[in-house]
Amino acid sequence: MEQSELCYLTIADAAAGLRRKQFSAIELTDACLDRIDALDGKLHSFITITGDLALEQARQAEKELRAGTDRGPLHGIPIALKDLYATKGIRTTCHSAVLENWIPDHDATTAVKLQQAGTVLLGKLGMHEFAFGGPSVDAPFPAVRNPWNTAHIPGGSSSGSGAALAAGFCYGALGSDTGGSIRTPSSHCGIVGIKPTYGRCSRYGVIPLGWSLDHTGPMARSVEDCAIMLQVLAGYDPKDNASANVPVPNFQAGMKDGIKGLRVGVPRKNWFDENLGIDPQTEAAFDQALKVLESLGTTIVDIDGKPFSLARKANQTILLCEAYAYHEKTYQQTPLKFGSSVRRRMLEGAFLSAADYLTAQRARAVLNDQIRANFAGVDVFAVPGAARPPEPFAGLDPNEQNMRPSFTNPFNLTGLPAISVPCGFTQENLPAGLQIVAPPFDEAACFRVAYAYEQATEWHKHRPAVS
Amino acid sequence: MAEDLTFENLELLAQRRGLTLPQEELQKLLPGVIRARRQAAELRDLLARGDEPAGVFKAARGAGK
Repeated sequence: MEQSELCYLTIADAAAGLRRKQFSAIELTDACLDRIDALDGKLHSFITITGDLALEQARQAEKELRAGTDRGPLHGIPIALKDLYATKGIRTTCHSAVLENWIPDHDATTAVKLQQAGTVLLGKLGMHEFAFGGPSVDAPFPAVRNPWNTAHIPGGSSSGSGAALAAGFCYGALGSDTGGSIRTPSSHCGIVGIKPTYGRCSRYGVIPLGWSLDHTGPMARSVEDCAIMLQVLAGYDPKDNASANVPVPNFQAGMKDGIKGLRVGVPRKNWFDENLGIDPQTEAAFDQALKVLESLGTTIVDIDGKPFSLARKANQTILLCEAYAYHEKTYQQTPLKFGSSVRRRMLEGAFLSAADYLTAQRARAVLNDQIRANFAGVDVFAVPGAARPPEPFAGLDPNEQNMRPSFTNPFNLTGLPAISVPCGFTQENLPAGLQIVAPPFDEAACFRVAYAYEQATEWHKHRPAVS
Repeated sequence: MAEDLTFENLELLAQRRGLTLPQEELQKLLPGVIRARRQAAELRDLLARGDEPAGVFKAARGAGK
């Protein structure tokens, strides 16, 4: 099998191949490390590569698998972590000069879960500085580039996770999502990413952006792979104050049963056209995706988008206040240590009041009720993964995103599970995503609908011409 | 109100918050701060007097989580 073929296997196929002894965990790891070495100089998706550790873990996984000790489908699979997951003894930077040389003395709970599942850690991935702002052009590490066109952004803040998966550098990755940071790079890079329900996956050991909005979750190249990863990551963690002590179902149960008879709510009215509105090519890809869902036996139901539109204002207000509260001391002591993009966005939070924050938290309760009430009439919501295709770096205006609807923010505010799956390309060959949103703790519904859509289309099979 | 925030107000607020920022930096910050405050203010129209915040203290949860 050629290197690129090996590197672009899904987790499910790689796991099957390992057990059939078609290749070893060491070969998978070597292939990924060689590919990163050859191609990441143009993409900058990795900040730290843990090659020696990866090979040691791969040898151990191979030894265990050959001895009949099988830790499950992630055993021997090379993965990577967004560089805000604390990793004991491994530099964790948040893509910032503030933490440029920080070596944690503890692991994030989710990193431990992946280790226990037998994964191979390839390294730590680039991101938007402290998961906020925009591409970090003046941070100590270069901004991550989009493998589909390196002149364009990969989306953020889990930019390295999206780019590394699209480039075939790893089989799975962890992202984090406070306003769309898993789903936007998934959409922009043509891969799959799920933000689970708030509290489903531990945030312990993950540098916060906004505590009450932060989610951790997996990114991969297929819906099934995300379900495999979430199965390992989900579960109650007493170390995380927001962790939900609820049962973890089998996320793949029913995933392949089809979606005939399901009702899909589309909150287009009073939302998609706000301010500059949605990009026409993005909307066309979304509309085509709805036709595919209809052809699979679902009914499309129009619902009011107004509360979804307002949710962004509450999400942004809470995020700004919480982010500034976390970083206040550093801002007061060394403000210019932050890159310009994140510095200006986060400082906006310094000038909001306690009343502003509490008003947003009150609005959150009201909007949460209004948005969730729609589940009385529909099974899931469908919205675009992003309002526009990935922008070029040249002339990038970070304020422009505020002039377009945010299709991701409302599901941080409400904590609802939301998955992004590839749904097409623009004329410039840049990816678009379809987002499926389900009731709380029903990630299985996200997987079921996204899987049916994915299998009915070919978008997830497209690969960027990285060379 | 958000619309009333001027550069001079922002400079004063920054000092009160212990932030030492160059004038040029404050100038670049002003539009974003105005937008953020306006956005927060718009949410007030949504609320009735009885609406409580989404996050409330629950005594039963205790320190042991």
